[in-house]
Amino acid sequence: MAYVATRGGERAIEQSQRLFKAEMGAITPERVAELRAALPYLIDRVMGEASLYDEDLAALALAQTGGEMYEAALLLRAWRTTQPRLQVAQPVTQDALFTHRRISAAFKDIPGGQVLGPTLDYSHRILATEVLTGDTHTPAPVEPAAKPSPARQPSVAAWQAENGLLDPAVPDQTLGNDIPDVTREPLLFPAKRAHTLQSLARAETGGALALGYAAQRGYGQAHPTVNELRLAEAEIVVEHPRGTRFSAGRVKISQAEVVDKKGAGLRLGFSATMGWNEVKVIAAATLDLNAPGAPKGAPTEEEFFLYHTEGVEASGFCIHFKLPHYVTFQSSLDAMRDAKAKAAAQQAQPAEADATEHPTTEPAQ
Amino acid sequence: MNRQIGELAGRTHEDVLSVLARADATRLKAFAEPLITDLGDIEVRENRTGLVMLPMRDTAQGVHFHLGEVLMSEARISAAGIEGYGMRRGRDLEAAMAMALVDLCVALGLRHDDCAAFVEAEAQSQTAEDEATLKRVEATRVDMETF
Repeated sequence: MAYVATRGGERAIEQSQRLFKAEMGAITPERVAELRAALPYLIDRVMGEASLYDEDLAALALAQTGGEMYEAALLLRAWRTTQPRLQVAQPVTQDALFTHRRISAAFKDIPGGQVLGPTLDYSHRILATEVLTGDTHTPAPVEPAAKPSPARQPSVAAWQAENGLLDPAVPDQTLGNDIPDVTREPLLFPAKRAHTLQSLARAETGGALALGYAAQRGYGQAHPTVNELRLAEAEIVVEHPRGTRFSAGRVKISQAEVVDKKGAGLRLGFSATMGWNEVKVIAAATLDLNAPGAPKGAPTEEEFFLYHTEGVEASGFCIHFKLPHYVTFQSSLDAMRDAKAKAAAQQAQPAEADATEHPTTEPAQ
Repeated sequence: MNRQIGELAGRTHEDVLSVLARADATRLKAFAEPLITDLGDIEVRENRTGLVMLPMRDTAQGVHFHLGEVLMSEARISAAGIEGYGMRRGRDLEAAMAMALVDLCVALGLRHDDCAAFVEAEAQSQTAEDEATLKRVEATRVDMETF
């Protein structure tokens, strides 16, 4: 196999990048701030897929790439490598989440009740075209309740375990740098559960949805019901040099449990990600639910979905096919021509032999 | 009552730090800047941005896994052999330094009443903000009915 660099294209490459950026114009602090304020769900999606939580950096990456999501995630992952890791925080637990949205499709009367939170689930999908003719679309303000919702909500799974419907989860004792980390060690199969869940947390949304949807449509063994879905804020609990643990702020997270109803008891699939992105966590939890016993090559098989939902690698591999492959392509053409020539020669040889054995000219009378 | 180092009246060190980490950046910087004079010679040991990895416990099997990393600003300073520490979310080195200055003041017992008043005011502001958020959330509570 041989590779050659493309020569003589420096100016064209420089101009092509300028042409890409020309369409976007100047990137100003105001533009970044506006993107951050106006597109929180897109910012969340980029932060989750980049596995780096900072709204300003995510907005900047979107501004710099013109909204090209794969490039934005790649920029953020590249930038991340320039930063030291200061600490590993204390693990976030479900019962400590500052909860904004919490619903269950399995039980209507869950402990703590159901709060819809911010959602368009029950909305009419009507485009506000009046904005294009000069009007301003101002959403009606929320009418707050007289009393606040409890900040922390009990776990549906814990309640199910108390009622003998689920095996209770045994809390992990692994902490800090001992928690397996796919950014520092290779993803090997069968994967550690910590690697699986971390990979799904940083998975590309479209990839997770495509494979999760395949499982939901019947290309999996278990049909999911959403046991509990949460959009929440998690405290980042770090340690002071004198040992005091404290919250250094909050980040938005999404978390989904889906449940399989087949068999003697219930069985859960789980996924969570940084930012609010419920499509991704429901799809990813479906994959987690379907993974045990999935046949090799099925969309629900762990190796299949973990490799194919890694957005930076997948997009990078996909777009590399448009880069010069002249030598390998010419080599394939040479092989093709050689095969054709050999086939033609083989076809010609029996004809010649036949002609020797059975001459077509009539013998002289 | 003896207070532990870093505590304020009615507030543990954890409380003080958590409130400072979430305090309004502009107000925090404005409050902390004059403290430099009171603290005298300060050694700045660290003032940088970096990442904190955030793990979570899976509710299906109880396994700890990493959600991803969060950009943080950190400051470590010292005076009279005592360390002040600041860590806040985002990219604001001055705010992290301001937090470390307040933490150091509290640890050294300097400007105790001012620090207590500042932390109290910020705590009340944060509580009010959370309450307003949760009242909007409560407005979306739903009682599902089956037919």
